[in-house]
Amino acid sequence: MKEVAVIGVGMHPWGKYPDKTFVDLGVTAANAALKDAGVEWKDVQSVASGVYQWGGGAGIVSGQQLAAQMGERGIPITNISNMCATATSAFRMACLEVIAGASDIALAIGLDMSPIGFLPALSEDPKDIDFLRWRMIGLTNPGYWAMECRKRMDMYGTTKIHLAKAKALTSKYGKLNPYARYKREFNIEEVLNSPVVCDPLHLFMICATSDGAAAAVVCRAEIAKNFQSKPVYVSAATLGSSLFGDPTARLGLLAAPAKQEAPLLSESVSAANQAYKMAGIGPEDIDFVELPDNSSWHYLQYIESLGFCGPGEADGMLDRGETAIGGKLPVCPSGGIGAMGEAVNASGLAQICELVSQLRGQSGARQVEGAKVGMAQTYGMLGNSACAILKV
Amino acid sequence: MSPESAQKKQVPTIGGLFTWPSSDPRLIGIRCKSCGTCSFPKTYIKHRPDCKQPELEEVLLSKRGKLSTYTVQHYPPPPTFKYDGDFAPYAIGEVAFPEGVEVFGIITGCKPEELKMGMNMEVIVEKLYTNEKGEESLTWKFRPVSK
Ligand SMILES: [Zn+2]
Repeated sequence: MKEVAVIGVGMHPWGKYPDKTFVDLGVTAANAALKDAGVEWKDVQSVASGVYQWGGGAGIVSGQQLAAQMGERGIPITNISNMCATATSAFRMACLEVIAGASDIALAIGLDMSPIGFLPALSEDPKDIDFLRWRMIGLTNPGYWAMECRKRMDMYGTTKIHLAKAKALTSKYGKLNPYARYKREFNIEEVLNSPVVCDPLHLFMICATSDGAAAAVVCRAEIAKNFQSKPVYVSAATLGSSLFGDPTARLGLLAAPAKQEAPLLSESVSAANQAYKMAGIGPEDIDFVELPDNSSWHYLQYIESLGFCGPGEADGMLDRGETAIGGKLPVCPSGGIGAMGEAVNASGLAQICELVSQLRGQSGARQVEGAKVGMAQTYGMLGNSACAILKV
Repeated sequence: MSPESAQKKQVPTIGGLFTWPSSDPRLIGIRCKSCGTCSFPKTYIKHRPDCKQPELEEVLLSKRGKLSTYTVQHYPPPPTFKYDGDFAPYAIGEVAFPEGVEVFGIITGCKPEELKMGMNMEVIVEKLYTNEKGEESLTWKFRPVSK
């Protein structure tokens, strides 16, 4: 994917904005990205917009709502729904527009106002498998994560201290990120003393839901320097789906295979492996990673699933400080989803924004020194996941 | 069961998930006759990617399985989940059945601290909540097998 560059990124700070609409947030992010890129709305030849699934009919065509406020111009707008992978899927779509030669300059946007508390069911239809888990079991998303976490603790000896440490570390970076919702440092004791939500996961080991929007402007690499003195290049932007025999307790399902024939989180492993192949590099070449730390279990598991160490070895990496800024593999220098809060349809592009900021050397006190290659990886609700590798 | 509750009409919250009425209720899964893949519920059909003759059959999962993992939910789920009275923390487990599928479900009949990974569990059908007609609305649950 050498022919695509990111020339601008922009965000609306993550938080809770009951007096705004998701479109308002999107317009702020889009304008910030256009300004950063040094281009105007009239220069954008296509838009890839993340579907805001809790936004009713308007949310399904989020890109059209955005265009209404930006000024309608008749350009192609693709609305993409892929749960946690939505925004990165929009980013990938914008890159593909450029690679296909359909657009010289494309805008990717994710915008979201996720419901407060546990993310709820999307229908009351018994034919919706996802509805069944809510109605028949009341199984929440953190419930699935807690069950996987308990397996991990049993298998590798991961302790609650590890789970608390992950939050304590990322919260340090969130405090330094002007776009993060929780700019507060947590210590290990506070995390361990927070209420149990889904045993063994405590409140501060699980991300909250947030409102937010993030956007990126991409263009043909040859013309990038006409707009941006520090372009960032797209080495890979991929989408992965699950493999048969993946034993993960997958969100939205009532069952999992008893016999393991594929890796845990195989959709994420698929996305990452495609990205390594496309970029022609391996995990050892990644300078830092924004991974989906929806819970402390994710933090540890994703370090392994993305190939940065072997099974059960992420705990040791965390203990030895290797995942801290300044360590071998800084993890979530933005503060991650733990500090941002999850805005399901926007979080992937927030990761892209962090990658660009780090690779340009513009991240201030949370800068990963000498960062040349960054990876952004999403979670995925019903077996989908997206990954991007960017470089300078 | 008290005499009153024995008289209350009992209805599955959603049909087709377990056999009912039954003195020995079972979860209803689905299996491919060709590639052997078994899944639950029967509307969620799965095949191996190279399966060429996807002919399906309903399959009743065994009464017993092993607890592979569990959690205790300490906060009420969103209102799609209905329950009688005040919310009380409850356990949810993943039970591995010999048919090759692991199913999630509410755990009943024991204290959370008595749960152990690998323990034997059995499928039962119990009240989830009392519906607007005063009937007991049922779901499947898992209970440790008493020795
Ligand atoms: Zn088959």
